Amino acid sequence: MGSSVEKIEKSVVTMKIEVSAEDFKKAVTKAYQKNKGKFYIDGFRKGKAPQKIIEQRYGKEVFYEDALDFAFPDAYLKAIEENKIDAVSRPSMESIDKIGEDGLEMTISVAIMPEVELGEYKGFDPGDLAYEPTEEDINVEIEKMQDQNSRLVSAAEGEKAKSGDTAIIDFEGFKDGVAFEGGKAEDHSLVLGSGMFIPGFEDQLIGTAKGDEVEVNVTFPEEYQAEDLAGQDVVFKVAIKDIKTKEVPELDDEFAKDVSEFDTLEELKEDLKKKIKDDKEKELLEIAKVKAVDAAVENAKMEIPDQMIQEEVDKSLRDFEYQLKMQGISMEDYFTYTNMSEETLIGQVKEDSHKKLSRDLVLTKITETEVIEASEDEITAEIEEQAAMYNMDVEKFKSTVTEDQKKYFADSVKRKKTIEFLVDNTKK
Amino acid sequence: MLSPHDIIIKPIVTEKSMDDMSENKYTFKVKKDANKIQIKNAVENIFGVKVEKVFTMNMNGKVKRMGKYTGRRANWKKAIVKLTPDSKSIEFFEGI
Repeated sequence: MGSSVEKIEKSVVTMKIEVSAEDFKKAVTKAYQKNKGKFYIDGFRKGKAPQKIIEQRYGKEVFYEDALDFAFPDAYLKAIEENKIDAVSRPSMESIDKIGEDGLEMTISVAIMPEVELGEYKGFDPGDLAYEPTEEDINVEIEKMQDQNSRLVSAAEGEKAKSGDTAIIDFEGFKDGVAFEGGKAEDHSLVLGSGMFIPGFEDQLIGTAKGDEVEVNVTFPEEYQAEDLAGQDVVFKVAIKDIKTKEVPELDDEFAKDVSEFDTLEELKEDLKKKIKDDKEKELLEIAKVKAVDAAVENAKMEIPDQMIQEEVDKSLRDFEYQLKMQGISMEDYFTYTNMSEETLIGQVKEDSHKKLSRDLVLTKITETEVIEASEDEITAEIEEQAAMYNMDVEKFKSTVTEDQKKYFADSVKRKKTIEFLVDNTKK
Repeated sequence: MLSPHDIIIKPIVTEKSMDDMSENKYTFKVKKDANKIQIKNAVENIFGVKVEKVFTMNMNGKVKRMGKYTGRRANWKKAIVKLTPDSKSIEFFEGI
């Protein structure tokens, strides 16, 4: 058995593999064992005809196809080992140069892990990662809290409704003097200015008071879901039963006590400031991470073989289809709903896959270059984190983790560390 | 004069005959009235081997019917030829 690399082009290796006569004969015998049940020859029960007899009857080639399947994996594995090829796709058969009694010779091609040429990946400027919350940020938060803690209070007798108030109304809609379906409700709470109703309706209620009965003239928009009403002028008879004003709690220490564990408003603000700062900085860090990786990818040079992308695309599409199936949607339905053709989807997926692969490759290369390792402790921590995420018992989960999975966790730790490394090294 | 090929009509290739080969026994259909000595000579002549012993048996042709007509296939003679241990084997599968 021998093998030789013919050429390397765009990360695709073409190589010649030879299988010795002896090994090929073994493969043929194996193929015979597999297929003998299919041959019927006079004088023999089915499956009992000797290999020799079958070969004489049908020609030596009958078993070659299966023999090839048997011989190939071994030969292929040996060949990539011999030539130290890091294959990333399934090999494809280019040609069979020789097949017969004296062995097998074939040419195959396989995509290899592309050679990544790292460019500058340390010099990237992530921008300022510190964030000092402004007065405004805090006020927005405070206002939100105020809003959440507001109460609705019935307005005083005769007070006029204004925007933001809630009106409790009975209404009935008439078109050309006839009540129409769905145009009637009682005790409906409507926040004025919320835009829940058709345009103009809420505006005309502003300025009314409790106990008023008004007629509201509106025109349904052209794009209304009920077709017979769209674009029609209608009259609503509205009885205002109550007007409620939102009472916003006063901003003082009392408020702080109510909504938080703090005693004074100052403390609450201080705490909010810290929280906002943390959140924002975390967000900035995430952005910086993505940017740092993107920059590293940008500066790196590599050629990703088509086969590798294709396999990634196939995988994503399969996953996607599976997801859709879980929701009870078929691929065809999805295309009809989204008005998207299969080609567009594949195009998108292809782009994503390309991005994902290049990121993976660059990060892996950086991990190698910088010799980033995952320690046992870190792996354990990662496993515990995963267990927590799926609400599983940590000890139990740990005991089910296989070597392969452990490797996966180690990789994930390494990946994290690499990204951190990128960000750390860019700040300087 | 009968040629050896007139005596040995054809080899018989079946599961059983293949099994016998491991005992150095080869099975043939032979001329109905050939005797063991003629068979021995013919086999030695054709395949260039040494014969130790010949077993023969007469096989009755099967009765076959086609509708209301019954017929009978010809009777024939089967010979199992045992070669001496030092003889070379017979490769008679060509051109079956």
